[in-house]
Amino acid sequence: MNTIIQNILVYIAVGAAVLFLVKKYVLPMKKKSTKACGGDDGCGCH
Amino acid sequence: MSKQINVALIGNPNTGKTSVFNALTGLNQKVGNYPGITVEKKEGICKLPRGVKAHIIDLPGTYSLNASSLDENVVIELLLNKNGKDYPDLAVVVSDVENLKRNLLLFTQIKDLEIPTILVINMSDRMAYKGITLDIAYLEKELKTKIALISTRKNKGISELKELLTHYKEISAEPCLNASEIDTSYFNNLRKAFPNQLLYKLWLVITQDVNFGKTDRKTYDAVEDFKTKSKADLKRLQQKETIKRYQFINETLKKGQTIDLKSAKDLRIKLDRILTHKVWGYLIFAVILLTIFQAIYDWSSVPMDFIDSSFAALSEWVKVTLPEGAFTNLLAEGIISGLGGIVIFIPQIAFLFLFISILEESGYMSRVVFLMDRIMRRFGLSGKSVVPLISGTACAIPAIMATRNIESWKERLITILVTPFTTCSARLPVYLIIIALVIPEGRVLGLSYQALTLMLLYLIGFGAAVGSAWILHKIMGQKSKSFFVVEMPNYKLPLLKNVALTVLEKTKAFVFGAGKIILAISIVLWFLASYGPGDNFNNAENIVTEKYASQNLSEDELNQKIESQKLEHSYIGIAGHAIEPAIRPLGYDWKIGIAIVSSFAAREVFVGTLATIYSVGSDEEETIKNRMAGEVNPILGGPLFNFASGISLLLFYAFAMQCMSTLAIVKKETNSWKWPLYQLVIMSGFAYLVALVAYQVLI
Repeated sequence: MNTIIQNILVYIAVGAAVLFLVKKYVLPMKKKSTKACGGDDGCGCH
Repeated sequence: MSKQINVALIGNPNTGKTSVFNALTGLNQKVGNYPGITVEKKEGICKLPRGVKAHIIDLPGTYSLNASSLDENVVIELLLNKNGKDYPDLAVVVSDVENLKRNLLLFTQIKDLEIPTILVINMSDRMAYKGITLDIAYLEKELKTKIALISTRKNKGISELKELLTHYKEISAEPCLNASEIDTSYFNNLRKAFPNQLLYKLWLVITQDVNFGKTDRKTYDAVEDFKTKSKADLKRLQQKETIKRYQFINETLKKGQTIDLKSAKDLRIKLDRILTHKVWGYLIFAVILLTIFQAIYDWSSVPMDFIDSSFAALSEWVKVTLPEGAFTNLLAEGIISGLGGIVIFIPQIAFLFLFISILEESGYMSRVVFLMDRIMRRFGLSGKSVVPLISGTACAIPAIMATRNIESWKERLITILVTPFTTCSARLPVYLIIIALVIPEGRVLGLSYQALTLMLLYLIGFGAAVGSAWILHKIMGQKSKSFFVVEMPNYKLPLLKNVALTVLEKTKAFVFGAGKIILAISIVLWFLASYGPGDNFNNAENIVTEKYASQNLSEDELNQKIESQKLEHSYIGIAGHAIEPAIRPLGYDWKIGIAIVSSFAAREVFVGTLATIYSVGSDEEETIKNRMAGEVNPILGGPLFNFASGISLLLFYAFAMQCMSTLAIVKKETNSWKWPLYQLVIMSGFAYLVALVAYQVLI
């Protein structure tokens, strides 16, 4: 019983870690500003 | 009922704006970014009398509302966007009592935006020293504001400032001069064409080379009734505006401020003469750097040893106390070992930031920038490039963001491209552990070999940055020249509170920013090292017992062999073996290979990874360092981490472009994947080559 619970906990921990890394590096959340200044246009200063 | 107001803290650089922010908010502050851009946004809450709360935003330092950099745009954007959530109910302009004339230019511009504005005159403790007296009542009347005369250093005037903030409704929003007098007919036309808009806001949008929200220059040009002027005419009008403002400021200060030069006793000139001297200046800078590196080693060794042994004990305790099983092993060998590999470096990182913060707070850093400009020019960089290069010793990400105040695009691009060569704090754990393993502990002239090696690595990083800047300067044929202007603030005794908050904030960012990634990677690595496919892994016990049946091994020795068999045939072992042919010529084994690959997420992951890999099946009483020192090269015999492989590894880390986040920020700042990809290929290729040559020569 103890072995099963421990294994479940391991898989939960590993799953959460992988999910965190995927979200961080593979599917980064893109927050775009609606304002003209602050977007990818660099405020038109270059 | 409590009410919250927005307060924008605005001011020229070096006026002590951040000290005022710290004095008002204490520890109730957080640091983030402005939406969509990477300019740092500091905000905090200040509790005021009568249940009022002030949400205070510490805006980037700016000299005027005529933007020339992204940082300055942030200030203007916030002040012009009335519908923005951070639009201030009250502006607090922080000025320095010794530079009132220059500081008031920004103040008068903000007043023209009809925002209720308080003038804070900081550093009042220096008034007697400089022979300055102020007629506050007269200044308040002329500038149509309330003035708080404060000294953040002596903690004076802060409660009076809080009192003024509480009565924000009584602060005047009336402009203190009529700027439209510079061309009455033009401004009258402007007012008629856009009756619902604030006149000075219109003027700022028309004269700036930037767009603010939906209102940009093109919108105004398109209106039929209004004929705007040519760019040259607008420039001339802007100059007239600045002259008019300074006339007003001069008039006001003539009566409101007196300076008795006879009573001024100034050490500054004498100190500047030495600290910016073409020989002594560099020598003093070198001595200061050497002291910092020596201190990083000597002072932090006690807390580091304590942390190291504490994590080893905790890991052992968890293993003994919790029921046996996979999750207990994950806790003891994966999570605790991985975290221990990071926490151990907190003392050194805190010391590094402590010194950087003291140098900045004291005003010495500006002298360094001035001093280094003479050298930087020859390599296609500007004196301002020194700030990113020195900031790069903390982290390349804010350093690359700090290039925004370099006006010339090519100088800025070169600085962005070379900054990752400077030794960031994430490399520090890697350097420290490798140096401790391969450099002897002896001393020369009282300086330890290990500290000297660390300093050499910093110099190599800096040299690589400057050298590659020179090559880029030649390749890119940079012809444009920019002028170098740097403000020399007065020398000050660093404020303990500011230094402490900086150290706390940076260390926290390092630990929690990297910590989450390291924890996740440690868990994944532990899993990959503890599980594997096929018979070689799953039947490891039988295979090893059978193999060594005739050798009469003790139980401990047999267990060690089983763990070794498992590790080698685990998922991570298989991956490590796959890349081993490519890294073997550099003196690395598959375990180091895995650490190098995983450190692409963040360099400091290298140590955590090795800690995780080595503690699998190891004696928990051994520390990470001892475990690494005991590793044997499977092919050549002898220690795996010897002088040749250690130096090779140090050089690889000195030159390789490894950090994902740095690549992301370069992409963002250059708005192209081209430059980060160049960086990745060229820097990592060069690192491989140098590491290869170093190992082959030294072995």
